[in-house]
Amino acid sequence: MSCAPRINQLSNNELFWLRFCFSIFILLIPLLVGCGSDSHAERERQGRVVLKYWDKWNGFEAEAMRGVVEDFNKSQDRIWVDFNSVSQIDRRLMLATAGGVPPDIAGVWGYSVPVYAENNALMPLDELAREKGIRAGDYIPAYWTLCNHVGHLWGLPSTPTTIALVYNKKLFREAGLDPDRPPQTIAELEEYNAKLTRRGADGRIERIGFLPEEPGWWNALWGYWWGADLVDGSKITARAPENTAAYEWLQTYPDRFGADKLVSFRDGFGNFASPQNPFFTGRVAMVLQGVWIFNFIKNYAPSDFEWGVAPFPSSGSGARDAVTLAECDMLVIPSGAKHPREAFEFIAYVNSQPVMERLCRGQLKFSPLAVCSDEFLDSHPHPHIREFLALAKSPNAKGYPRTAIWTSYEADMRNAVSRIWGGSATAGEALDDVQARQQKNLDRRIERWKRMEPALQKLWSKQ
Amino acid sequence: MSQKKAHATQNLVVYIVLTIAALAFIAPLAWMFSTSLKPLQETMSLPPRWIPTEIQWKNYPEAIEEMKYFWRYTGNTLLVCVLSVFGTVSSSALVAYGFSRIEWRGRDQVFVVLLATMMIPFPVTMVPVYGLFKELGWIGTFKPLWAPAFFAGAFNVFLLRQFFLALPKDISEAARIDGCSEIGIFLRIILPLCKPALLVVALFQFLFSWNDFLGPLIFLTEQRDFTLALGLQSFQSQQGGTAWHHLMAASTLVLLPVLLLFFLTQKSFIEGISTSGGKN
Amino acid sequence: MTKEERRNIRTGLAFISPWIIGFFAFCVYPLVSSVYFSLCDYSVLSSAVFIGMHNYTDLAADEVFWTALGNTFFFCAAAIPLGLVVALALAILLNFDIRGRGIYRTIFFLPSLVPMVCLAVLWQWLLNGEVGLVNNLLNPLLGFMNNLFGTQWVAPNWLAEARWAKWGLIFTVIWGVGNAVVIFLAGLQDVPRHLYESAEIDGAGFWHKTLHITLPILSPVIYFNLVMGLIGSFQVFAVPYVLTGGGDGPQRSLLFLATYLYQNAFDFWNMGYACAIGVVLFVIILACTLLLRAFAEKHIYYAGK
Repeated sequence: MSCAPRINQLSNNELFWLRFCFSIFILLIPLLVGCGSDSHAERERQGRVVLKYWDKWNGFEAEAMRGVVEDFNKSQDRIWVDFNSVSQIDRRLMLATAGGVPPDIAGVWGYSVPVYAENNALMPLDELAREKGIRAGDYIPAYWTLCNHVGHLWGLPSTPTTIALVYNKKLFREAGLDPDRPPQTIAELEEYNAKLTRRGADGRIERIGFLPEEPGWWNALWGYWWGADLVDGSKITARAPENTAAYEWLQTYPDRFGADKLVSFRDGFGNFASPQNPFFTGRVAMVLQGVWIFNFIKNYAPSDFEWGVAPFPSSGSGARDAVTLAECDMLVIPSGAKHPREAFEFIAYVNSQPVMERLCRGQLKFSPLAVCSDEFLDSHPHPHIREFLALAKSPNAKGYPRTAIWTSYEADMRNAVSRIWGGSATAGEALDDVQARQQKNLDRRIERWKRMEPALQKLWSKQ
Repeated sequence: MSQKKAHATQNLVVYIVLTIAALAFIAPLAWMFSTSLKPLQETMSLPPRWIPTEIQWKNYPEAIEEMKYFWRYTGNTLLVCVLSVFGTVSSSALVAYGFSRIEWRGRDQVFVVLLATMMIPFPVTMVPVYGLFKELGWIGTFKPLWAPAFFAGAFNVFLLRQFFLALPKDISEAARIDGCSEIGIFLRIILPLCKPALLVVALFQFLFSWNDFLGPLIFLTEQRDFTLALGLQSFQSQQGGTAWHHLMAASTLVLLPVLLLFFLTQKSFIEGISTSGGKN
Repeated sequence: MTKEERRNIRTGLAFISPWIIGFFAFCVYPLVSSVYFSLCDYSVLSSAVFIGMHNYTDLAADEVFWTALGNTFFFCAAAIPLGLVVALALAILLNFDIRGRGIYRTIFFLPSLVPMVCLAVLWQWLLNGEVGLVNNLLNPLLGFMNNLFGTQWVAPNWLAEARWAKWGLIFTVIWGVGNAVVIFLAGLQDVPRHLYESAEIDGAGFWHKTLHITLPILSPVIYFNLVMGLIGSFQVFAVPYVLTGGGDGPQRSLLFLATYLYQNAFDFWNMGYACAIGVVLFVIILACTLLLRAFAEKHIYYAGK
């Protein structure tokens, strides 16, 4: 029985190379790990409280905030804020907070507030805001709502957004449509869609008027434009008639265009942040997009790109005017952070009118504050800033559903859309499944909240 | 005569099949390298080209710059790898020695338990281990990535034990009669005979640590502390879409040290793998 | 026990002490904790509250869990045998007396060294329905066959279609069988030549030799690779995670047990539920390994016996 392993002795050559590589590795480590530390900044930081600030932005949005951070650091000598661009911030923040090493300030999405708050991941800011004299009246109502949950204030907005129908005026003209009269109802949207769509000889789609999947960032929320809500207190309303109507509309897309043709069409789309963005190359004529789209148009679209903005049309019995998703980036202080007062000082700084206007102009967005200077709007580079701002003030501006199960709910809704688009379920069937699962999920979550609430409320009222 | 001809046709068929298979296996890597040298528009061109119209070596420095902390990632990964290798080799050798060169009661039963632990999937232990490291205050540091290596993983112990068992018993016996302590025998006699096997364990551990993704994903929090694997994935998920040429360039760079190591130690690598699948 | 035996036990235990500590810290404690947490409602930042079997009953009624389970089983049932067959076939071919065997072997082995993240990033690119290499090689072939047979076959958009996403993943796995090829090749070279020679004298052809000599002698090696493949495939996470950019594929077709576990633990703040999934995963692997062992006892041929 030959169980002796046949490993020959190392040749001298192999040994030499190995020792060589090993030594190089060991020598390289301190060099490489030490890269990127800024000694000049170290000196400046001495004596100050150093705050770690994580935010989700990169590119020009990050640059705008970096400018604000620099100004803050220069304006006083007690606090130094260290800005870090972090991808997948929701998950990372959760892991870091759970792991006991949270950043001092985090810039999360508004929709995360309920789940973080209910899971004791954030510090309530009521006291700190009161001390600085920050009140509800300072903000556009839609955004103040996002900051509050279960009776406490959890964060303050950094930059706001609304979403609207953004369309290519040149393509409208080419198709014989009036570029200054965008569609006002869903029926009209589909008329325009038919006129704008071009197909090739073999049925391949070359250009489409409107494609819900491009960019498809709010696939869970189509019901909003049909007057639907996704949660009503302790009830999930995914299967309510208004919401179902919206997804039945979605279902007409694979029926009309062919599911596989749509997939092929989308597979060939270029990078969003590049000149090959399908909206900029004219492959999609109308998109549901947010106020930030101007950033991308400015940097990537062809110089003769003509575009218009209008409220996304709504439909059916629930049709209302100027429906939009009003969301914002939120600055929060994770629980367990070591310097809440200093952190809040920075957050309050960002929320002062001149600084907020500076930040929002840098990110080419409007301001979430109730009052904004005329100069801000007049000199704003964004050609359609007033349309987006008007949408934010609309009574039909809503945020994401304020529920702690939103991540799971949204995942299920996205899966439902995926099934509808793949043709493996009708809108009703897909939504039935979401309804059943998420109702159970919500019931469990409400149980958990009932159990945890008394202790948590006591804890929060002390802070 | 016909047997020779049958033999020759057989060989020809084998060559053809192997060549087709080899092309299929090498094509992805070649494609990765080719894409890494293309300008962005060409990455999405139809029909796809193998040789870019202009060879853009600058994709590499561009990718490194976009990844921001590439050199730090490399340093971090090297740190974790070197510490892991050291920990694994030393602890696995000790433990394998204990399971093979000393006769003690219950030894083989305990070894079966060790084998059984290979069946425990990491995801099962992930959450409590995360909690454990949190209590120790190690989340956000590199310790969770290399410290477990110092506690002898089952697979490496298994591998080294095979090797130790094959060494003749009398050399240990002779040393014991001479009054040598067990640890002395281990250090002065057995270990020097095992350099090739230790090298194999080191290589496997290096490869594992270089590739490890799930560990860094949950234990590292600061972007600048990421390892290359995590940094690459982070780079992929950065923007709304993907700049394939940069991503392929970055992937090639992450792959390169592994390839280098392989070509330097080919023989040991191959032989190590061959014996690991040996008689159970 | 004699004094010598006692001393030997002490020395033995001393030597294996690193493993013992690791065993308790990284095996026993986590397993026991996982089982305990699986009986609790544990939302990361608050302490775990005992709720009995609720998580398991929820799991049984959770269709997403069954989807994940189904996906995992399908993946294992397809990838493991396919991988073994391909690896074995390549090894057998390499075992012929051919020149350049080293080069071929290296080419087959290299992909198994590629870091998983690189592999996933590369294959995400290769499997793109429009501009990916796979389809651009497959479509002309399918077109040719369509002309021949009058069919309408079209290469699918692998990672974008629920029906085909897992097959795309299986490609990436098969690309990495180099490891197994090398192991099989080593095993093949251990087969005594005289057995083949005597079979040839009796007039046995290639298939007969393979089925009745090669495979039985290789059976321990096949068994080893099977068990390793099983343990590895059931916990598949990194590659589909990166392939889908952190998601779970079209209509959750790339949602596996480990993925769902990770999602519940770190996305949905449901660590108790995640632990329940973990316990189920462990039980499945244990059951399969034991089944395989029972099967192996009867069918594996050991040279010594």
